[in-house]
Amino acid sequence: MKFIGIVGTNAAKSYNRMLLQFMKKHFSDKAEIEILELTDVPMFDESDDQSDSDIIQMFNKKISEADGVIIATPEHNHSVPSALNSILEWMSFNLHPFDGKPVMIVGASLHPQGSSRAQLHLRQILDAPGVNATVMPGSEFLLGQAQKAFDENGDLKSEGTVDFLDSCFTKFQRFTEIANLLNVPEDLNFKPGTFEVTAKGHNGDLPMSVTLSKDRIEDIDIDTSTETQGIADVVFSRIPQEIVNGQTLNVDVISGASITSHGVIDGVARAVKMAGGNPEILKKRPKASNIVQKDEEYTTDVVVVGAGGAGLAAAAKVLDEDKKVIIAEKFPSPGGNTVRAGGPMNAADPEWQNTFDAIPGEAHRLKEIKDMKLDDIDPEYRDDFQELQKQIGEYLGSDGKYLFDSKLLFRIQTYLGGKRTDLQGNEIHGQYDLVKILTDHALESVKWLEKVGVSFDKNEVAMPVGALWRRGHKPMGPEGFAYIQALQKYVEDNGGKLMTETPVKELIIEDGKVCGVIARGANGQKITIHAESVVLASGGYGANTKMLKKYNTYWTEIDDDIQTSNSPAITGDGIKLGLSAGADLVGMGFSQMMPVSDPETGELFTGVQVPPANFIMVNQQGKRFVNEYGSRDQLTQAAIDNGSLFYLIADDGIKDTAYNTSQEKLDAQVKAGTLFRDDTLEGLAKQLKMDPEVLVDTIKKYNSYVDAGSDPEFGKDVFDLKAVKAPFYATPRKPAVHHTMGGLKIDTGTHVLNKDGKVIDGLYAAGEVAGGLHAGNRLGGNSLADIFTFGRIAGENSVEDKQRVEQND
Amino acid sequence: MKFIGIVGTNATKSTNRQLLQFMQKHFSSRAEIEICEIKGLPAFNQPEDRVAPEGIQVLSDKVEAADGVIIATPEYDHTVPAPLKSVLEWLSYTSRPFIDKPVMIVGASYGALGSSRAQGHLRQILDAPELKARVMPSEEFLLGHSLQAFDDNGDLVYEDKVTELEECFDQFLQFVDITNQLIKNHSFQAEQNKNFSWEKASEGGNN
Repeated sequence: MKFIGIVGTNAAKSYNRMLLQFMKKHFSDKAEIEILELTDVPMFDESDDQSDSDIIQMFNKKISEADGVIIATPEHNHSVPSALNSILEWMSFNLHPFDGKPVMIVGASLHPQGSSRAQLHLRQILDAPGVNATVMPGSEFLLGQAQKAFDENGDLKSEGTVDFLDSCFTKFQRFTEIANLLNVPEDLNFKPGTFEVTAKGHNGDLPMSVTLSKDRIEDIDIDTSTETQGIADVVFSRIPQEIVNGQTLNVDVISGASITSHGVIDGVARAVKMAGGNPEILKKRPKASNIVQKDEEYTTDVVVVGAGGAGLAAAAKVLDEDKKVIIAEKFPSPGGNTVRAGGPMNAADPEWQNTFDAIPGEAHRLKEIKDMKLDDIDPEYRDDFQELQKQIGEYLGSDGKYLFDSKLLFRIQTYLGGKRTDLQGNEIHGQYDLVKILTDHALESVKWLEKVGVSFDKNEVAMPVGALWRRGHKPMGPEGFAYIQALQKYVEDNGGKLMTETPVKELIIEDGKVCGVIARGANGQKITIHAESVVLASGGYGANTKMLKKYNTYWTEIDDDIQTSNSPAITGDGIKLGLSAGADLVGMGFSQMMPVSDPETGELFTGVQVPPANFIMVNQQGKRFVNEYGSRDQLTQAAIDNGSLFYLIADDGIKDTAYNTSQEKLDAQVKAGTLFRDDTLEGLAKQLKMDPEVLVDTIKKYNSYVDAGSDPEFGKDVFDLKAVKAPFYATPRKPAVHHTMGGLKIDTGTHVLNKDGKVIDGLYAAGEVAGGLHAGNRLGGNSLADIFTFGRIAGENSVEDKQRVEQND
Repeated sequence: MKFIGIVGTNATKSTNRQLLQFMQKHFSSRAEIEICEIKGLPAFNQPEDRVAPEGIQVLSDKVEAADGVIIATPEYDHTVPAPLKSVLEWLSYTSRPFIDKPVMIVGASYGALGSSRAQGHLRQILDAPELKARVMPSEEFLLGHSLQAFDDNGDLVYEDKVTELEECFDQFLQFVDITNQLIKNHSFQAEQNKNFSWEKASEGGNN
């Protein structure tokens, strides 16, 4: 038999530890007892779930796998120590390894009482529904005056005490055998058929049909047509697959998608019930994935951390050089933030762009650049700037009717768009050499992607949201997913190894050279990958609020509960890995917010999203507070100044200009309480807990500005519709984190630099994990250009640097 | 009167915090209640030197100075949360400010039981020789279904519960007075409790 012994205190000196150590030794011929310590267990905090951390996972795994658990508790203040409470709270929060587990309680104390009161509390605690252990009744082992109980070998001195402990332990062994019989699965019988239930999706309930035979779950089919492609589909394919393969409802939820994961599990449980089965039996069956895996070790040429656009591009380039590559991805599917991208990537391609007509306003924008003073331009950009002014002059002079562009315009716009000053007065602008590489080579990236298998829509030159010019190359097919689909196929077809659910935990550094990574596998196994070079392509830290707040120097405030448009995977892991190798950081204080995001999910495409001409933004008091045409940064700061939460007001006419939705979706959102609708503005105001008079007055004024074509309050100057026709809608919005510009300091070859500006041997970084390029503000469409350009360079250099060294040797 | 109210959890969202905030507001004309948080306080680890970390010492001084303490406890696994227990362990292991301090226990829970079992444990804990608080007997305030209990202004919406809480608080004010009379000539024993140790107790010491 295999038991786990838990030392119920984190104190350095403990007689309870001695007692367990004695039991381990004394009973070694009867059972194996492994002792676990509480020293490194963090204090339980329900608002900071650390169930996924190594230490909590370790406890969960060891307890789950043991035949029984022995807890040795001291007594603190008539109860068990808080350290013991804390681990039991972690083990009853999201994980429940004690469920049905045989438990023996022992205790030692200085007092003759021998922890009697603590043991009674512990029994009650272990009986709580979240813990639900099977505690052995009777046979209380209380060791009083413990300081006198042990000899210098750690053995119990009193023969009578040892005899009693023997009898308690023998009884526990029998108890374990019998109690574990209760854990043997019961038979399950269904009424065969297909049962229609629903699963919870991000955007509402999804229809799901579950087919059951007499004693098996045969098939689970979920209609995902209303979900965002690429993000949710892992849940809707993997969870059903695990349920069917393992014939169990005891499956791990997918990190970052726990609500939808539980939605699927609960849906199947309902179907089982409808078929006359008891879903609890299925929930108690062993996990499909809970096969203990051996540690793994690999050797390759290059290991890439992160399977988003940058990582896949780097991997593809390594394969192009006939080298081996392994990609370690934290999440169950590749794509990172790239699958969430709108699609168009910036690259100046004048030959192609010139075939389109110019549109009103573009000449004006060019003229503004032509009229800018040289003094306002940072010295390293001045030569390029003057050359650009010449180009613009020639274009305007020729009365060009076509769409103008050049690498220089791309470069100068990237530079001007990224220039910002933070709250402390620090100015930042894009690092010239990086901006030059981006703007010179982005078009090569487009051509290279075409070779890899991405096709672009040549009939449309797009201007992405947050961009300054029409130079977006838009892929055919589903937005950001189109890149990932093609790159993943290319990498896999050419022999690249993609390891999902493999978060990299540390870099292997030998003699100052990075030569591999250590990751954790899906079943908790250690995965060691030796490599000549490591490419960090793990993205920024938009989904790590603590880290954002730690570095932020740009926003006056970042809420603790701020949402993000990013994948929940984007938690700055690569930046931490880089720091562990001594990397320098750049621009970390600057982050980009998307002002009009869903307050609960950070998603953009909920509620009524209309063109800015039809935006009416009101704060929580029902007053307008900003020119709705303001830049992203202006809207975000104005929202923060007004308590972050604000509303987009729309009437029935404005609603019809929404580009993101359908009446069905809106009805569902109103029902779910995420969107507000009312037949009168007064009623709407009441729902929003605003003073009705204020909101009515605000809309009345706004309508009069639409009539007049000018807004004396905030200077909005482009209008479309008035808000007059019932029903009225209010979409709650809040700024959400969209992009983090700061990151690891790199050179133009994507080598990660240390604080002395020296290359860290063997370490490369590309994409959002690196800083310096976008500086204070990333232009829409530039992140895709960034990841595919610098991702390619990282892949090339991670191979070529090594070859160069070999030639020199 | 000046009381402190200890929020018995480190959770960001807590109806026990809301309950104390309501009490602070509702009883503002009769007593000053300062709300103390335990989030971020270090976990008790029984260090050799018996020195309280800074945050614990700050809380200890506040308990010492207060006329009484109100503890609002949630219930985790049939008992009080680890973070609250950790604070009590620190205080019992270092400065022992609870000795003879009048204490009122309240608690809120999402379910129907209103933290009854945690309150029972907390009474036993506060009775330990190193804590030796004067916990108000015979009165308990259990707030069940606490998620629905407060409106947007933070006011308790169950009228009968408000009345019950008012009576309970009245009792506590009286209890504080009586306790202070009771402990007037008690300094010898109080001093003993300050120096109590299980090591000595087990050797037959502490006399």
